[in-house]
Amino acid sequence: MKIYAFVFLILLVLFSGSVYASTQQASTNGTSPVCGNGVVESGEQCDAGGSNGACPAACSASCTTNSCGGGGGGGGGNGNVVLVTSAIFNGRAYPKSTVTLLKDAQIAATTIAGADANFQITLTGLSGGNYIFSVYSEDSKGNRSSLLTFPVSVTSGATTQVSGIFIAPTIAVDKSEVKRGDNVAIFGQSVPNSEITISVNSDEEFFNKIKADAGGAYLYNFDTSVLETGQHFTKSKAAEDGAISSYSKAISFLVGTKSVLAKPSTTAPAKGDLNADGRVNLVDFSIAAYWYKRPLSATFKPTEVERLNGDGKINLIDFSIMAFYWTG
Amino acid sequence: MTKFSTPQKIILHFALSFCILIFVFCIGNTADAVELKLESDKVPPFGMGQQFQVDLVLDTENEEINAVEGKVIFPEGLLELKEIRDGNSIINFWIEKPKNQNGTIIFSGITPGGFNSEKGLILSVIFEAKKEGVAKFEINDARVLRNDGTGSAATLTIAPFEIAISSEAPAETAAVAIVQDTELPESFVPEISKDESIANGKWFVVFATQDKASGIDHYEVKESRQRILSVFGRWVSAESPYVLTDQELRSYVLIKAVDKVGNEKVMEIVPKNPLAWYENYENWVMIIAGVFILALTAKKIWRKK
Repeated sequence: MKIYAFVFLILLVLFSGSVYASTQQASTNGTSPVCGNGVVESGEQCDAGGSNGACPAACSASCTTNSCGGGGGGGGGNGNVVLVTSAIFNGRAYPKSTVTLLKDAQIAATTIAGADANFQITLTGLSGGNYIFSVYSEDSKGNRSSLLTFPVSVTSGATTQVSGIFIAPTIAVDKSEVKRGDNVAIFGQSVPNSEITISVNSDEEFFNKIKADAGGAYLYNFDTSVLETGQHFTKSKAAEDGAISSYSKAISFLVGTKSVLAKPSTTAPAKGDLNADGRVNLVDFSIAAYWYKRPLSATFKPTEVERLNGDGKINLIDFSIMAFYWTG
Repeated sequence: MTKFSTPQKIILHFALSFCILIFVFCIGNTADAVELKLESDKVPPFGMGQQFQVDLVLDTENEEINAVEGKVIFPEGLLELKEIRDGNSIINFWIEKPKNQNGTIIFSGITPGGFNSEKGLILSVIFEAKKEGVAKFEINDARVLRNDGTGSAATLTIAPFEIAISSEAPAETAAVAIVQDTELPESFVPEISKDESIANGKWFVVFATQDKASGIDHYEVKESRQRILSVFGRWVSAESPYVLTDQELRSYVLIKAVDKVGNEKVMEIVPKNPLAWYENYENWVMIIAGVFILALTAKKIWRKK
């Protein structure tokens, strides 16, 4: 009889799932909360990544807050002090926009900025060391900002504050080609009531200033009579309360003999998106890495021409293009 | 004061002008160029058997850089390579993870979004001096690309680097500090995908993570249609992208990241098309065992009565 009880106990332990205490679930769509990824998501009280677990860890394996120490009554608890390594990011994006934070080029957290365009993201589960963080946002029309990247040295057991992040404005033009002398509308979104500086690059660089409205939107009609015929680039930056953003990505338009409306904006990256899923991330990197220093197949050649530099091979230049258009 | 003749004055004038031009050219070039250099953590000369760390660092000179590659060549006769560390590198994704091939360390990687700093650490190498002499290092085939969407090459300067090894130097026997890495590799989100261009459109899994202390050593993958009995399955050493064996996506896919001191982090992807409960023999084992135990218990109770 003891043997049966022993077998039963073994089965109970095996099937209870406790063997998976150290195993984290990963999702493929990234929308449901993932306990153990270091990001406090909806439905989680905490998430310290690899530090989740029983006391003295502050966060349990199921992402609920542990009540460690204290002890009550006579003892006064075990007195363990849990040092969580974390970073808090504060900055400005666009009103009610989705802000995405990348940690070492992989999506670590997303949040929605407030009506005043301010956002805050707390990231736990970090280790002491050097990280490359990046942020980007999408405006109300779906235009994506350029990636703002900054290295941060995180101290183990401490909270690192990263403040003053100012995501560059989004920018678009209403015409891909404009008849010389006609106006081209340059528009986008930034922080409400911020001062937008618009640069138009020609032989001479033209700077124009305009104020964003209460919703952060801005629009400037640029008179192209001062420009020579040919391709020109425009970019913008924002200033508010003494803080200045970096320049947005530069977009081009032609000055010629006729006006052609620009195609509706799309969030799909112009280059680097090898699997055409609207993102440039580890999957695309892996596809390119697969073909690195190999002769390209007939099916992959057109992809390389369309979405990379089109030289018929995969080398560092293609990876550099991918890194520029990276979305995580 | 020395008086010069007219021809002498002309020669002097040209010589001075030439020197000024060379000086301005050199200053102008070095001021604008991205610099790739090697730095030692200790001041040479080094004694025999002494260990020291050499860092490969990038000074971007205010340029946005997103890709770098090259080869570091060191004299194997004078130095023994003990370890390559990349845990704190500015490189997020290695195209070619740094490795030693007969005295040549080949590296290639990218930093998505770009990087701009005076001292961006690419990798660190721990050496041990084994023979007297001057160890001259070379950096060959180096390329640094701008974060400009076209992958244009930045102008690059490479600083010369050498280390003297002397038997007369005070022999410091202490090894370079061993990395105290008690933390697991960071959590990551592996992703299953497929693309016509890879393995004839078969499903594959991609993964990447970091370990800030010692760096990632390798990854392993395990596929199992049974969740619990997967503990008995075999781990297979893998690189991203890894083409899945179970193309029906009915298996749990476990990816293990192992750092250089052996800490492990396991992430799991649940099957997209899981087995029905009756197809999973784990469930039948459990049911039969349960019924068996219940029957034995009932029999024992009946006997007592």
